[in-house]
Formats: sequence, C-alpha cells, structure tokens
Amino acid sequence: MRIPRHLAKLLKAGLLAAAMLSLAACASAVGLDGPASTLNSAGDQARRIEELMAPIFWMGLVVFIIVEGFLVYTVIRFRKRANSGIPAQVHGNTRIEIAWTIAPALIAVVVSVLTFRVQAANAVLPADSLYITAVGHQWWFEFQYPEQGADGQPLLTASDMYIPVGKSVIITLKGADVVHNFWVPKLAGKTYMIPGKVNYMSFTAEQPGVYLAACSEFCGEAHALMRFRVIALPADEFAKWLSQAKVPPVAAAGAGVLNGDPTRGQALFADPKKQCASCHAVDGTAAKGIVGPNLTYFGSRLTLAGGILPNTPENLSRWLHNPGAMKPGNLMGKVITPTWVQGNLTEQDIADIVAYLESMKISVDLPVASK
Amino acid sequence: MAVIERPHGGVATPQAPVSKEYMGWESWLTTVDHKKIGIIYMVAAFIFFLIGGIEALLMRMQLGTPNNTFLSPDVYNQMMTMHGTTMVFLVVMPFNVGLANYIVPLMIGARDMAFPRLNALSVWLFLFGGLMLYFSFMAGGAPAMGWFAYAPLTMKQFSPTFGVDYWIIGLLLTGVASIAGALNFVVTILNMRAPGMSINRMPLFVWMTLITAFLLVFAFPSLTAGQIALFFDRHFETRFFNPAQGGDAILWMHLFWFFGHPEVYILILPTMGIISEVLSTFSRKPIFGYAFVAYSGVSIGFLGFLVWSHHMFAVGLGPLANAFFAAASMLIAIPTGVKIFNWIATMYLGTIDLKTPMYYGIAFVAMFIIGGISGITLASPPVNLQQTDSYYVVAHFHYVLFGGAIFGIFAGLYYWFPKFTGRMYNELLGKIQFWLTFISFNVTFFPMHITGTNGMPRRIYTYEAGMGWDLYNLISTIGSFAMAVGVLVLVWNAITSVRNGAIAPNDPWDGASLEWAVPSPPPAHNFDKTPIVYSRRPLWDIKYPDLDAAHEIGTRAISRRERMEQEMAKMGEQLGEDHIHLPSQTYNPLIVAFGLLVAGFGAIYIATPFAFIASLIGLFIMGVGIVGWVRDSHKDSPYLVSH
Amino acid sequence: MSAPTTTHGDESHAPAHVAPAHPSVGSLGVDSRKLGVWAFIGSETLFFAALIVIYLINVPVNMARADAQDPKELLGIAFTSILAAILLASSLTMVLALAASKRKDMRQFTIWHLATIGLGLCFLGGQVYEFTHLYEEGLTLSSSMLGTTFFVLTGFHGTHVAIGATWLFATWLKVRKYPDSPENLMDIELAGLYWHFVDLVWVAIFTLIYLI
Ligand code: HEA
Ligand code: HEA
Ligand code: CUA
Ligand SMILES: [Cu+2]
Repeated sequence: MRIPRHLAKLLKAGLLAAAMLSLAACASAVGLDGPASTLNSAGDQARRIEELMAPIFWMGLVVFIIVEGFLVYTVIRFRKRANSGIPAQVHGNTRIEIAWTIAPALIAVVVSVLTFRVQAANAVLPADSLYITAVGHQWWFEFQYPEQGADGQPLLTASDMYIPVGKSVIITLKGADVVHNFWVPKLAGKTYMIPGKVNYMSFTAEQPGVYLAACSEFCGEAHALMRFRVIALPADEFAKWLSQAKVPPVAAAGAGVLNGDPTRGQALFADPKKQCASCHAVDGTAAKGIVGPNLTYFGSRLTLAGGILPNTPENLSRWLHNPGAMKPGNLMGKVITPTWVQGNLTEQDIADIVAYLESMKISVDLPVASK
Repeated sequence: MAVIERPHGGVATPQAPVSKEYMGWESWLTTVDHKKIGIIYMVAAFIFFLIGGIEALLMRMQLGTPNNTFLSPDVYNQMMTMHGTTMVFLVVMPFNVGLANYIVPLMIGARDMAFPRLNALSVWLFLFGGLMLYFSFMAGGAPAMGWFAYAPLTMKQFSPTFGVDYWIIGLLLTGVASIAGALNFVVTILNMRAPGMSINRMPLFVWMTLITAFLLVFAFPSLTAGQIALFFDRHFETRFFNPAQGGDAILWMHLFWFFGHPEVYILILPTMGIISEVLSTFSRKPIFGYAFVAYSGVSIGFLGFLVWSHHMFAVGLGPLANAFFAAASMLIAIPTGVKIFNWIATMYLGTIDLKTPMYYGIAFVAMFIIGGISGITLASPPVNLQQTDSYYVVAHFHYVLFGGAIFGIFAGLYYWFPKFTGRMYNELLGKIQFWLTFISFNVTFFPMHITGTNGMPRRIYTYEAGMGWDLYNLISTIGSFAMAVGVLVLVWNAITSVRNGAIAPNDPWDGASLEWAVPSPPPAHNFDKTPIVYSRRPLWDIKYPDLDAAHEIGTRAISRRERMEQEMAKMGEQLGEDHIHLPSQTYNPLIVAFGLLVAGFGAIYIATPFAFIASLIGLFIMGVGIVGWVRDSHKDSPYLVSH
Repeated sequence: MSAPTTTHGDESHAPAHVAPAHPSVGSLGVDSRKLGVWAFIGSETLFFAALIVIYLINVPVNMARADAQDPKELLGIAFTSILAAILLASSLTMVLALAASKRKDMRQFTIWHLATIGLGLCFLGGQVYEFTHLYEEGLTLSSSMLGTTFFVLTGFHGTHVAIGATWLFATWLKVRKYPDSPENLMDIELAGLYWHFVDLVWVAIFTLIYLI
C-alpha cells in the first residue's frame, strides 16, 4: 500500500511532534525546564535544534536499551554456574558481522540526514533582518546597532540585547581580546566570538521574554561571571525602545536614588580626575571612553557588572566601592581599587554618580522574565 | 652484561653477573627491564591519578552549592586546567604505556622492548615532564586556560604567569617520551615477535597497542609544532596566534585538535585491547570475530584523523566543513559498534566467571555505550551548538574517559595484578571497590547531562541558584566523594595484597596468551626458551589441545599434538640459544632525561640570565649521558665487546 | 605449567622464518633500528608538514596588512637555489659514501662521508648568511607573519641539518675506530637515511616557499 505524500508528510510531522512532546514531558519531569534550558525553546533556531534532538535522543535510547539489554541478559544468562564447563569455542561468524556493521551504519545515515536538514535551515541568514553586532570583551558583552543611533551612528549598549519578536536578527560576532562564546540557550546554539574573525548567526525570537545568556567558552579568570540577557519585545514595544535609545539622555533634576544628586553625578562622571570617563561613555556628554561598556541609559539595564548582579542602587554603590572584589580580575578593579576610591571619591560622590546613572531610563514594558 | 646460560631442561639460574649489578632502589633508577619500567609508569600514573582526583574533589567542593566561595576563581581555573591535563597526559596515557610495556613483550614472546635504553629514557622524560608541570604551582601558579589552551588567552598579555610555559615545556618533555615510546612499540611489535607469532595471531591488546603507537607517531607532532609556535609567541614576539598582529587564533585550535581527537583514541584503544583480553578470558571463549575487532581498531584509528573539527563546530568554519566532520564522526559509530557487538558475542554462550576484572570489563562496555551515544549527539552540528562547552560535554567525556578508559585500566590492573606482583588481590575488596566506583561514577556524572541540557556552561567556578542546576550539582559532588572512597579501597587492596596476598600461580585465570606461561612475576629474561607460536591462543591450545583445533578460519579441526611437538623441538634446536643476552643496567637514560629537564627549566626562564646557565648545564649533563649511552650500546655489540 | 614453548596448531601455519634470540633483524625481516628510524621519519614528516602548512595558510592571509612583507621580494631564489644544490649534492655524496662502505673501500668512504658533512656545513653557513642578510633587510621573527613563519620553519630545518651532520660525524668516528665492525654498514645507512630525509624536507620547503 502506498501512503499518499501529504499523508506521509503529516505522519512524519506528527511523529516528530510526538517525539518532541514526549521528550519535553520527560524533560520537565527531571527539572529540565530551567530558565536556560535547551529543551524549552523560544526561538526558531533553538526550536529546530530541539526538533532534531528529539529523534536523535529516541534513537539513542533505543540503541541503548537494545545493546545494554542484550549485554545484561548475556551476563546473567551465561554467568558461571556450578555445572558449567568449558563452552564451545566459537570464533566468529562473518554474516553476523556484516549485519551488525550495517545496522549502526543505517542509524548513522538517518541521523546524518536529519542533521544536514536542520543544519541547512539554521544556516540561512534572512535578507530582511535587523543587524546587531555583538562584541565579546573580558568579561562583558557589547552590543552595537549599526546606523540606529543618533545621526546614523551606531547605537551602543551592553549586557542587555533588545530585539523585536517575530523578526529575524543577524548577529555579527566579534571578539575583542580572547575567544568568547555567545549563547542564548532558548533562542539559538552557540557561536564563538573570535578576535581576528567575524562570525554571523541569525535567529528569530518567537515569544517575548527576557532570555538568560552566557559566555560559554573559557575566557579567563571571570569567565563564569560573563553573562547577558536578550530582551525580546513585541515589535511596537521594540520600536518604542529604539526611538528612545537613539536620543541622548538628560540627567534628571532634583534628588535621585540614595539621596544622590544626578546633576552633580553627571559632572563627576565626566570629570577626568574621577576616571569614569576614561573608560566609559554616555551619549551626549563629555564622557567618551571606549574601553568599558557604554553606559547610556544605564538605569534601564537589568543587571550590572556584566550580567551578574541585579541593577539596584545598592549594588551599584557596592560595585563602585570595590569592583575588583565583586568580579575578580576585571579591568575596572585594577584602576578603581579601594585605596584609590578612598583618596578620590567621597561617599557623596559615589551616591551622586549612582543617582546619575540610575536616573537615565528608557520606558518600555518589559516582558515578564521567562520562566 | 648479564648472561644467563640456557638451561638444559631445567629452570634458568642467573649466573654471576659480568659487570656490576645495581641492587635495591638503584636497580629501579638504572633499570632497562621493560617490566620494571612498566611498573614505574603505572605507579607514577596512579599517583598522578590521586592528585588529579584531589583536584577534581576540590572543584566538586566548590561546585556543590551555588555562589560558593570555597575556591577563588583563579585557583578553580588552575585546578580545572591541571585536572584535565593530568588525567589525560599523566594518568591514562602513561598507565596504558606502562601496562603495554609490561605485557606486550610477554604476549609476543619477546625478552624485552626493541630499545630498552630508549624505553628507560621515555619513562624518565614522562616523569620529569609531569613533575615539571606540577612545579608550576610553586613558581607563580599553574596554567589557568583549560586543557586545550585556546589562544590568544595563552598569550603573555592574558596569561602573564609562567604557568603556560610550564605547561608547554612539561608537555613537550612528555611528548618526546610518548613519541620515543611509540617508536619503541612499533618496532617491538613488528619486529620482536616470537617465531610463529604472525600479525594475525597477536593478542588484541598487542594489536590495539600497535595502532595506538601509530596514532602517537602521527598525531603528536601537530601538538609539538603548536606548542613550539606558542612558546615563540610568548617569548620572541612572533605572531602565530596573536590576532592583534595578524595571527590566527583558529590555527591553534586546528593544531590542537588534529592532535586532540586522535589523542582520545590513544586513550581508549589500549583499554579496548585490555577489555578484549579480559572478556575472552573470563568467558572462557576466544574473542568473537578476532579479525573484525582488530580491523575495526584500525579503522577507528584511521577515521580518528578525519574528525578533529567536531570540537570546533561553534567556530564558524561553514556548513560544508561542519557537515563533513559530522559525517566522519558518525562513521566512527560503525567500527565502535562492531567492537561492542563482538565483545557481547564473546560473552554470549560463554561461561562468565564474574571476577573483579570481568566486572570492570562488563562495566566498560556498558558505560562506553552511554558515552558513545552522547558522542553521536555531539557529532550532529546543530545539536552540538547547544551542547558544546556545556556540562553535557563534561558528561560525555567522563563516560568515555572514566567509564571507558579508567574502567578498562582498572580491569587490566586487577587482571594482571597477580602477574605483576606474584600475589592475588583480595576479591571481596575488589568487588566492594567495583560497586562503590560503578554506582558513584554514575551518581557523579549522569546528572551532568541534565545540568548541561539545562544550560550550564562548563569551566565556571560559580553559578547562581535557581537555574535548575543546584540539586544536580550537589548530587555530583556527593557522588565524587563516594568515588574517592572507592579509590581508597583500591589503594588499600593493592597495598595489603602486595604484602600478604595469596601467592599467585603462573596462570590464575586459565589464560590464553603467553604472559600466563611464565612465572608470576616473570624472571628478568621472561622466557627460558623463546616460545614458538602455532596459534592465536598459544597457551590455551597447549592446555586444551584437543578442544579447539579449528582456531583459524579455513583450517581443519585436527589434533596432531605429537607431531607438533616433534616439530617444535626441532625449531628450538634451530634457535641455538646458548645464552640469553640482556642489556645491562645503566644510569645514562636517567642522566639524559635529567639534562633535558634542566635545559627545559632554562627554556622557561629564557628571558633571564639563568636561562643561559641552566641550558648550558642541562646540555652538558645530557652530553655526559649520551656519551655514556653510546658506551653502553657498545657493550651489546658482540663485535665491539670482543675488540 | 611446563615450558611455554609447546603450543598447538595447524602445520600450514608454521612460521616462515626463525628469529634469533636477540634479533637485530626481527620478525618483520628488517633491522630494528632501521624500522625505528623510518617510524621516526614518519613522525618528523608530520612535524614539518604542520610548520609548512602554518606558513602556507598564514603568509598570504597577512599580505593585506600594512606591515606585511612580501616573500617574493625578500626571499631570493638565486642564493637559495645554490643552497638547494648543495644539499642535493650532499645526498649524492651520501649515496656514494654508503656504496663505498659496501665495497669496503675505506678511503673512498671517508672522502664521500666527510664531503657530505662538509656540504651540510656549507648549507648551514649559507643559511646563517641568508638569515643575517634578511635580518638587515628588516625581516625578523616579529616583523611580520612572513618573518615569524619563515624563520621558525627554516630555523627548525637548519637545526635538523645540524643534528644530521652531528650524527654523520659520530658515525664516522665510530667507523674510523672500528673499521671492520660488521655494524658499520647499518650505522652508515641509518645516518644516511635521516640525512636524505632532511634533504627532502628542504626540497619541499624550497618548492613550496621559494618557488611557488
Ligand atoms: C576516550 C575518549 C573519547 C572517546 C572514545 C570519544 C568518542 C567519541 N566522541 Fe568524544 N570527546 C572526548 C573523549 C572521547 N570521545 C573528550 C575528552 C572530549 C572533550 C574535549 C574537551 O572539550 O575538553 C570529547 C568531545 C567530543 C565532541 C566535541 C564536543 C564539543 O566540545 O563540542 C564530539 C563531537 O562530535 C565528540 C564525539 C565523539 C564521537 C562521535 C565518539 C565516538 O567514537 C563514539 C562511538 C561509540 C558509540 C556510538 C557507542 C557504541 C556503538 C554502538 C552501540 C553502535 C550503534 C550506535 C549508534 C549507531 C549510535 N566528542
Ligand atoms: C581520564 C580522565 C579523567 C578522569 C578520570 C576524571 C575524573 C574526574 N573528573 Fe574530570 N575532567 C577531565 C578528565 C578526567 N576527569 C578532563 C579532560 C576535563 C576537562 C578539563 C578542562 O575543561 O580543561 C575534566 C573536567 C572535569 C570537570 C569540569 C570542570 C569545569 O568544566 O569547570 C569536573 C567537574 O565536576 C570534573 C570532575 C571529575 C571528577 C569528580 C572525577 C573523579 O572521577 C575523580 C576520581 C578520583 C578520585 C576521587 C581520587 C581519589 C583520591 C583520594 C581518595 C585521595 C587519596 C589521597 C592520598 C592517598 C594522599 N572533571
Ligand atoms: Cu567570555 Cu567566557
Ligand atoms: Cu573528538
């Protein structure tokens, strides 16, 4: 009997879906649905990978059960007993050998074919995409939106990557110093950020959300503390974010958080003697450093210190007192040591800088952090 | 020169030595006996295993709970790097080399390795290389870059301490040792086989050792070239891997993995050989499909050179390259599967005697299947992009490296323990250790599949709570400490058994290969008379001459014992072994190795005046050793001795 | 267990040859040391292959850089052709030396053997000259990718030439001291084998780096 083509297609799709759903069910049973789980995709790339993992997993499981089953059966069935003598001295059987050479070969072919299909699908860089350049630094992620800033300049930000839902993005990946690895488990697989080489990857977020992401190639002392977030916003929200991010921020007047004075903070931040501006920039101000992350609209960042701490005034203040203690080995900690801080910044200075940085905000509705 | 008169019927009794013999501890430093050298390799490797294990325990302590501060990041990174480097270069490789050193000459009916002094040089270079690597802890810190040392993190700018230099020079020393050792095995196995021990009669352990030796010969130079280039980058401002000056970070990855993937088969193939011996002996059956097992080893070795970029799928080499390396990697499932099936078929219909080595042999097969299947998922590039550099990979390679290589090594250790020591190990302790290790191994490493799939990157010294990693990490940590208890039981068993274990007979397992035909432990000259081999299972076929005559495909089942014996007697006369010549003990290989060590220290501090002095002294010591070595070699030459 | 020599099998599988107790010619029918040298040469081949590949990949890629140095301009073919000729000639003299020693013609052997070493030393001298010349023209280990890869590759080759020459010299000393030792032939052959290999590496370097 011949199965009509569309039916076969449907069957195959159904099988794949069943494979995936049952895998997902098993997965959640063992707690495999954490916030960075690869089995809980929210983007097209990750979803296609998940759809590929499922059949490979089940095939692997079948191989496992058959082979281990046979092994265990053999060991139990033929273990030495009181009356066992010397068994027949069998040396081999060419026909059996051929059979069990072909069987794994067939499985390997199936896995390869499935693999190549997903590989091809995931290699596409769609024409109409949003371009973002991501640069890995020791130990933070920089994001550039080419031509999206004021006057067609690139828009620079760090640690939070905003993207629109439902539109493909093409990420241009670069490494500033050593090899880093760009990984947003729920959206796509990894791609290295290699100094001296430019890599591209593309994905589309299929649901709004805040996605945890991390550097996953060992890149030195604080590799464990190099993280970022991808914030996927509905298209209109994203447009709102972009239009605000383009415009340089103005420091709020009046008292800010921690009883600091944002206006004074702005002046301190740009003051060469206070060092902030030698590494950091804030658009539209005299602070134009390029070594560290661009801090424009810092108040809206979800985290600080390269994605490791919630962005609260208290954390920021702690950070400014002794960055080296919170992120061992980082560059800022080598300059801004506790002794240096004592000699150069008063408590009020720090409060003012905190108030200034936290005052620069973009208003968008953030999606609820992904489960 | 030690001369042993050929016995006429009786047992060999060593005559008074011609030249001075070193006794006691000096006999170890001066030895050129493959058995003693094998023991040095194995003991050193086992001590390194304890050290690497302690490093692992420290890491597991740190990772047991989220946001832990037990280790500082720098210390953790050093532990991680040294753990990986130690386990690969200083544990599994030398242990396999040591086992092969001891067993291979016995199995093929030889009196020693082809180049006994080179063999001694290898063991000392390995030992010095390892000690040098560990000296880095006292010289400003061990390397902290991961065992594959990706550039440009290894450039002076990012790794200013001497750790990387110790890693380079230490591993260069062990690398020279490995290549020298491999050459020795190639020549020994091809050229020192007893009469009748044709290639297709060699025990499978010998086969796998031969393949491994070829892999070493062809894979190591790539690492050596890379390390030399890296050394130049760090000290002479060359540009190989420095992207800021036009260098290529990816080049290092290619050089490393062109070595690195064959390396993992270098780690596993000898243990596959061990397993082939153990499973067959304790099933009391010949290996099923001898030729298929042997040739699948060859094809694994060959394919092993074509898959290195599966470690680099995330590098962005392009879909075509990735597809090629993916397909090649999956191909390896075929010969490996063939091996697995043949092993199971060997046990099938056998009489399985569940002694400790057999437990480990079976566990090897069982665990290797898991590690192999996770390898196949990793070989699919899209899937790999989610799993690479996560704990899923850590799970994969511990299943193949611990569940595979180490279980195989344990099997071999118990299997040949009576041969090495002349004593039986304690079977009960052996089984206790097995169950402890087997269970806690799975408790430790199985959860890593889950943490990896749950998005946990590898090589992180800390993580935050609530990612779905906490519980599984805690389980892993608990498992690792249970494993440590297992290791202690093994140590205890070994020490007490060497002291007061039951005296081991020559052939405790009713074995099939020649090492069981000689006393336990074997005399220095191994065989009183060079054995003559008529079949694949020489010893078995003497013991059971009428049971299994059809042991070679295409031959008729016949029993002609008497005629055979006559013929062999004739052969023995032809050999005309009036006396057995064994090379004499010598300090010179040790001296040469020591000279290289000193020169190596000079290289590490190349920017200082110390370098010059150390290199000179080192080269001088080496020169002294080489001159002495040449003298030693003259003593082996009948012509030169008589002149 | 009785003596380990008694085994059983089919007569059609009787061994074709019998190895002596301490064989130099072993079960493969080749001298052990020769086999070892061959395997060593296999390993060395991969080492040089790696260095050559590094050169071939990196130098062209780096030509776009501002500080790039062009091999076509800097590496003179004329002079290195002479060096290549010298080394090739030394392979020839090596063959002659071996042939002479087979004929037990000690005088001829000494001439050709020392000529081989001499030519090797000429090559090394020429290389030193070339290196200083290039250095004066501004090509150094760190001046460009060309300098980096060129000096490391040819430097390691030069080191191998030096080792080969030392080996030949040591062989000569031994042969001179024991002119009628039966081992001489093999000693000379092994040193020669290595020497030919070192020459061949130069042929590869010369073709791939200077000519193409
Ligand atoms: C003993 C060592 C050993 C062995 C034997 C293997 C065996 C295999 N390995 Fe593994 N591997 C390592 C040690 C080893 N590996 C190490 C140390 C690393 C990490 C290095 C690092 O990053 O630090 C690594 C990493 C690694 C990666 C890169 C992961 C990454 O970093 O992204 C990949 C990807 O393809 C891979 C694949 C494979 C495959 C396909 C096999 C195959 O050989 C497996 C074949 C075996 C089987 C398949 C099971 C038996 C077969 C059957 C029962 C037949 C039927 C089965 C099927 C048809 C599926 N390995
Ligand atoms: C053969 C190889 C081998 C073996 C046997 C092991 C054994 C173990 N390994 Fe691992 N491991 C690697 C090879 C190996 N490993 C490699 C190559 C890496 C990658 C490194 C890198 O990323 O660069 C790695 C990485 C690695 C990591 C990941 C680190 C990271 O990414 O941050 C972890 C984490 O848990 C780990 C754990 C363990 C544990 C718990 C054991 C245990 O099984 C250890 C068991 C042994 C003991 C427990 C020793 C017992 C000692 C005693 C009882 C003390 C007795 C003391 C005296 C007598 C004085 N290993
Ligand atoms: Cu960046 Cu790890
Ligand atoms: Cu691999």
